[in-house]
Amino acid sequence: MRSSLIRQVLILAALALIPGLGEAVYFRQRISWQSSIPPSELVTVDQARTWAGNVIWVDARPDEEFARDHVPGALSLNEDRWNELLPQFLAVWSPGKKVVVYCSSLSCNASREVARRLRKEAQLSNVFVLEGGWEAWLKKR
Amino acid sequence: MAQEEMSKTPNSESVREQSAQLSTSNLQLSGDASTSNIKNRTSYILRRIVDLIVAGVFIYAGAIKALDPVQFANDIDNYKIFPWPISVALAFYLPWLEIFCGFALVVRLLYRGALSILTTLILTFTLVTIAAKVRGLDITCGCFGHASQNWSFPSHLATNLAILAALVVLWVSNRSPKPL
Repeated sequence: MRSSLIRQVLILAALALIPGLGEAVYFRQRISWQSSIPPSELVTVDQARTWAGNVIWVDARPDEEFARDHVPGALSLNEDRWNELLPQFLAVWSPGKKVVVYCSSLSCNASREVARRLRKEAQLSNVFVLEGGWEAWLKKR
Repeated sequence: MAQEEMSKTPNSESVREQSAQLSTSNLQLSGDASTSNIKNRTSYILRRIVDLIVAGVFIYAGAIKALDPVQFANDIDNYKIFPWPISVALAFYLPWLEIFCGFALVVRLLYRGALSILTTLILTFTLVTIAAKVRGLDITCGCFGHASQNWSFPSHLATNLAILAALVVLWVSNRSPKPL
């Protein structure tokens, strides 16, 4: 009885694996296994630098880290003081400008969250996340 | 002698009485049988209806998520339980598991296996939802793709519990199902 149940579970689990794997292959270009940010929303330090005057840098790290050091000209916009800092950011933003959000490193989530909220709540397009974050910037400085 | 013969042979009156009694008890038996048949049939139909509703819910939920695994991976990631690669793997796998189990309920093949998997899934989803609420996470329910994006926590929980209740009904009413 129990072995028949386990056998049924295993058969179903194995069956579901087949289309799952197929889908993983089909969607390989649209999703990254390393980062939750789609490749189209990521930007490298070098790419962002080529945008020069047409970019607004947004620092999503906590206030203390921003105060210690940040990308020249960057604005602080973190989730702790979102309501307070968002108007300051919007005062600087203008249509057509690209927004590059960064946090500490490759593994942090703050830049992704801030970028998501800028797209969703402020209805902005052209919002990118800096690949590798502040650490990547320091290496290329 | 002739009188003795007469007393041994049952008279036609008593034979008629006996056969009348027999036919009455036969009628009662067939009446009971047909009542129990109707009962069985009704319970079978009800069970099948619940089967189809539960199967439909899971097939629909699975199909919606299988069509947009990127969104589903983000929804799983919002719960902050798994690292990103695991969320991606689950986003590709879980929708198909729901679909296959749904179809298994419809065709009644691998039935108990499907019930076990779906019960485990819904229990896990419910616990994870409660845990996310307790941790103060603002989660998007990925259960039914975009259709469930604006669901509140109570409606999310109520849906899960309703599905769980339906699965329990199926477990109880299928305690001795046919094997594979």
